[in-house]
Amino acid sequence: MRAGPAEVVPTEYYVALSALVFAIGAVGVLTRRSAIMIFLSVELMLNAANLALVAYARQWAAAGTLVGITGQTAVFIILAVAAAEVAVGLGILVAIFRRRVSTDVDTLAEVRL
Amino acid sequence: MTLPADFIVVSILGPAIVMLVFAMITLLFAVFQVDRSATASMALVGVGTAAVFALHLLMKGQQGAAEAGFGLRYLGDTPATAFTLVILLGTALAILVSEADLSRLGLDHPEYYPLMLLSATGAIVLASAGDLITLLLGLEIMSLAVYALAAWRQGSRQSEEAGMKYFLLGAFASALLIYGIALTFGAGGRFDYAGLAAAFSAPGFDAHVLALLGAVLLLAGLGFKVAFAPFHQWLPDVYTGAPTPVTTFMSVVVKTAAFAALLRIASTVFASLGAGPLGELLPIMLGILIGATLIVGNFGALLQSGVKRMLAYSAVAHAGYLGLAVLAADTVGTNAAIFYLTAYTLMTAGAFAVLSAITNADDRGDEIERFAGLAARRPFLAASLAIVLMSLAGLPPFAGFVGKLLVFQAAISAGYVALAVLGIATSVVAVVYYARVITYMYFRESDQETIRPLAPTLRIAVVIAVVGTIALGILPGFWYGLVERGQVLLAGF
Repeated sequence: MRAGPAEVVPTEYYVALSALVFAIGAVGVLTRRSAIMIFLSVELMLNAANLALVAYARQWAAAGTLVGITGQTAVFIILAVAAAEVAVGLGILVAIFRRRVSTDVDTLAEVRL
Repeated sequence: MTLPADFIVVSILGPAIVMLVFAMITLLFAVFQVDRSATASMALVGVGTAAVFALHLLMKGQQGAAEAGFGLRYLGDTPATAFTLVILLGTALAILVSEADLSRLGLDHPEYYPLMLLSATGAIVLASAGDLITLLLGLEIMSLAVYALAAWRQGSRQSEEAGMKYFLLGAFASALLIYGIALTFGAGGRFDYAGLAAAFSAPGFDAHVLALLGAVLLLAGLGFKVAFAPFHQWLPDVYTGAPTPVTTFMSVVVKTAAFAALLRIASTVFASLGAGPLGELLPIMLGILIGATLIVGNFGALLQSGVKRMLAYSAVAHAGYLGLAVLAADTVGTNAAIFYLTAYTLMTAGAFAVLSAITNADDRGDEIERFAGLAARRPFLAASLAIVLMSLAGLPPFAGFVGKLLVFQAAISAGYVALAVLGIATSVVAVVYYARVITYMYFRESDQETIRPLAPTLRIAVVIAVVGTIALGILPGFWYGLVERGQVLLAGF
């Protein structure tokens, strides 16, 4: 059964959740030491943005000011961007850590001469 | 929903499509194991062809017939095409440096030139973007290729580290930018700059906090790419760790494209927020970033003993000067930034080209002592480096002087006198660290071994950089006038 307009979850709830997920991701990037965990945290931040975009897309579509699909198309583009980032990032990660024992980013301190 | 008849305008996509096609051609060269020099030549042909398309668009802008398509989401006006030309110039110089250096450094893998052309394609898209999604796509196409290039030297901890740092921090910055896009969409309901600017300055607009948060995140994401302090910390490590030809590419092309995008957003979306109740906050934040960048970049460069690292910090400092143009956020500022970035591309590429002729086979050995007595051993290299360094320091009659003059003028006419004064004061500091290298070259004796002969393509790159630096310094009006007479879409909101 379809939910009536009165039962629709307000946009603010989605945005609050997305802000929470974004904050968790940002804290993860700043505190984690493993390159893979940092990378996962970045993915969390991207998905938070996607959630916000879908929620806002629904809101704007309901307001009737634009075609509702605009925001959702952006989500697909961001998903594709995230996938491309994973491909390149994991490639670099594997190339580096094949020769190293850990994925700890603190071992990446060679350049400071 | 039907699209308007003039929605799809292929001609403005010309430069980007040409670069993409040539990236594919050079990739095919790699598959069929064509000779590396032939691949480099083909890449240069691609850059030249794209430049012809861009010049055609620039001429249209001169006649006031600049084209934009896709509902102003991709622009072919004068700033976009001028930035495209600067990007192509930087790419050409980087290819020349690479051709001379790759085999010596043992980095001669066939995917190098395709990646560089793909990255330049992304840079062109970024510079032509009139929409946040176009911006994101351009940024990612450009960055992903550069991440791989930065880690190009397999087995070198320095280079791998540079690639990894650049990638992790770049992905983090992209995430900030993407969240900024989501919040901006939430506030304005659009992605295109024109629509956003109209929505933000509409009478009934009330989502000021949301729009400001979105703008701050956009600024942080792009601030990372252009290396505003405190988002600059990756830059010295990445520039030092990456192979010198890649550093050349990053320092000119990536910076130009990121500034092109930032200037466009600042003069449309940010400017439209300026009238709102929280409107003063954004310029204040940007001003603080720029002030910090000027100080950190210039004093950081002062403390370096390696020339490559000194040039990296000087890249941060120049981001600060360009930031003054962003702060002005008008056509005068944009034109000043175009000129500055043209000069910056020539001088920086010239400096890195000379550096790559001096460093060791493993791309290390950029200590300032190595430059001692260079004037006696290699007068051509020493004179070239002296000219580009004096230009970077902003001394007349070179291009860097005119660039700084234009940028300070733009900042002062937009009312940011204090920051302009800070810029002038830090320029004096800059003279010290650039002059130190010149002193070593001309006034120190050394018993260093004579360095290897100069590769012909490297000589071409150095000559282009030096001649360009002098020509733009003596006759700035030729290029600046062309830019100034052009047509700007998307301004005046």
